[in-house]
Amino acid sequence: MAQIPNLDNAALNLTALREQSQKELLSIIKSIRGKKCLVIDPKLAGTLSLILQTSVLKEYGTELRILSADPLQTECPKVVYLVRSQLNFMKFVANQIKNDESKGLQREYHLYFVPRRIVACEKILEEEKVHQKLTIGEYPLYLVPLDEDVLSLELDYSLQECLIEGDTSSVWHVAKAIHKLEFAFGVIPNIRAKGVASTKAAELLNHMQLEDPVSMDNMGIPEIDTVILLDREVDMVTPMCSQLTYEGLLDEMLEIHNGSVEVDASIMGAQQDGKKVKVPLNSSDKLYKEIRDLNLHVVVQVVRQKATSIQQDYAEVKSTNTQSVSELKDFVKRLHSLPEIARHVNLAQHLQSFAAKPAFHARVEIEQIILEAHTYETCYEYIEEIIQKQEPIETVLRLLVLFSLTNAGLPKKNFDYLRREILHSYGFEHMPLLYNLEKAGLVKRQESRTNWPVISRALQLIVDIKDPENPDDIAYIFAGYAPLSIRLVQHAVRSGWRSIEELLKLLPGPHMDLKRGVSTISSSELLPGSGSQQSTDRVGHRSLVLVVFIGGVTSAEIAALRFLSAQEGMGYDFLVATTKVITGNTLLRPIIASSKEGMI
Amino acid sequence: LLLKESRELERNPMASKGSPLHGPQVRLVEQAHRLFAETKEHLFESKSAEEHAKLLRVQHQLEVSTKQAIFVGSSVSDTIKTCIVMGNERAAVKVKSEFKVPDKRWYWLKSCALATVGNWDALETF
Repeated sequence: MAQIPNLDNAALNLTALREQSQKELLSIIKSIRGKKCLVIDPKLAGTLSLILQTSVLKEYGTELRILSADPLQTECPKVVYLVRSQLNFMKFVANQIKNDESKGLQREYHLYFVPRRIVACEKILEEEKVHQKLTIGEYPLYLVPLDEDVLSLELDYSLQECLIEGDTSSVWHVAKAIHKLEFAFGVIPNIRAKGVASTKAAELLNHMQLEDPVSMDNMGIPEIDTVILLDREVDMVTPMCSQLTYEGLLDEMLEIHNGSVEVDASIMGAQQDGKKVKVPLNSSDKLYKEIRDLNLHVVVQVVRQKATSIQQDYAEVKSTNTQSVSELKDFVKRLHSLPEIARHVNLAQHLQSFAAKPAFHARVEIEQIILEAHTYETCYEYIEEIIQKQEPIETVLRLLVLFSLTNAGLPKKNFDYLRREILHSYGFEHMPLLYNLEKAGLVKRQESRTNWPVISRALQLIVDIKDPENPDDIAYIFAGYAPLSIRLVQHAVRSGWRSIEELLKLLPGPHMDLKRGVSTISSSELLPGSGSQQSTDRVGHRSLVLVVFIGGVTSAEIAALRFLSAQEGMGYDFLVATTKVITGNTLLRPIIASSKEGMI
Repeated sequence: LLLKESRELERNPMASKGSPLHGPQVRLVEQAHRLFAETKEHLFESKSAEEHAKLLRVQHQLEVSTKQAIFVGSSVSDTIKTCIVMGNERAAVKVKSEFKVPDKRWYWLKSCALATVGNWDALETF
């Protein structure tokens, strides 16, 4: 099965979006004649694999290389760099060019920034005195479809840049990406935003519309009704919790990159050991689509049931030789789904070996206790213990952040004690990390009373799940905790921000509710919130809500949105756009790493 | 300005990490400690930097006495563990008292370290 997801079932014509990106890339390649070597930075290479197959590039006489600190090995007279606008990549480019020169090689160099050129990057090239030798261009790649309902900008450091470094370029990228969508699908009439970055993105979007307007006349009715922008900062609680859905666990334990996981071949039942195999994960796999958002133990049941039913069929086929051809055909068809079943049996089994451990249960349990926020001491002692046992620092920080957020910080004495324990256990080089977390407000000293219980009660975040196999609320995703972010989305589509204004004030950042140039009155009646009746009537399909998470989204939250749109009486389809699909670990890791590097 | 300076210094010792010369690093960390001490808000940072410098000195001594360059750069906990693994309980206790390691952590470290080397007799008697 291909890694490039099939987008035919998408609520929006995302195939067109992907084809545009393909076309733009190919036109760059075609514009440079002759044999050339395309050098891509390692992160971007994964992203591009979601857009087109590498074999296509070879057809255009292109060699492919991954950018690294080493000198470039190629015979081609022309070199095309395709890189994210990151400072360290510029150094690599400069070094490779200088290395070629020292060998007396004459080459033609092109550099394409993704998604746009940045002054700081060009400055470095100038300092390195290679700027003159490069032909510079841009490859405006913004949103990449990860699946039929998920788009991503694939920006790994967005949250860290916004919260710690004060670099808001990713906000600009988000606005630009939405604006690009509007060119294809019409101006989105309703904007709701919550959080500093989100409101800024909304303002930028308006600004872009003024400067470079999407014409509203010949577009007909806009295909997206509402865009809801949320800062990750508004809800940092959710990503800190352990995800319990199949996809969420896959991401937590094995890490999904660009829509696939890499696992040892032995796990997948192959004979050869030590080899890695890539398993693509997207809705093109029917079974995966069915089970990805379910709780792991439900997944195991579903897969087992499927396997046994095929087994029964097989027994029937064997025992009775009187089947008609069409019956046999049916059976063979079902056999075709066997590799899918086998694949997920293997994966689920592998996950269960983690999830069945007592340590995992203990952690999920302590998360629940922290969320319910009444037994402070138990949680505090648990965190103290895992620090002293030197468990992975990501694990410790996730719980600590969760604990600090729900308590509006820790009392000074506890705060200093735990910080000291962390420094002693993991080394003093983590001091900048603690400092950064404090700066980002993730782990801090208690200064005021916590309003978590108020928020939690008002939004019904803690729900008792009665029947985990047939859930009736999104809280099934975290075994009883409904993600704060998704509760906000629920309110936003139902009645806008107005009804929960007081509550929004308790969460970080301003909020904003905007209506934009609607060309006709009739279409303004179609806004969500004015009842799902009209929206569903409209040309037979339901209205589409674009939910944008600036700073990343977890697969569990995406699962919750899918669950919502599958509910009866829900007049909306959700399309998720984000800077990156994250887990608590992948969210914290860049912060840990960059703090260690010393942030020069 | 002072704040900015101390912040920069806070980062500096990390930049010099991994240098084979211990002297300059200790001095740098001590300088950070002094600068942090000049403001009131950074009491914690100042104390930590002081401890960091102390740790580096202790580790240096341990390396000299054991003739093995395995201590510098590791954390307080790891230093204690290494000492116990090497069977040098006295040094471990010394580090424990010097850095006021709470008993709880001490027990975790000690049992963990003894288990790693499979010293079950010692584990039983303690």
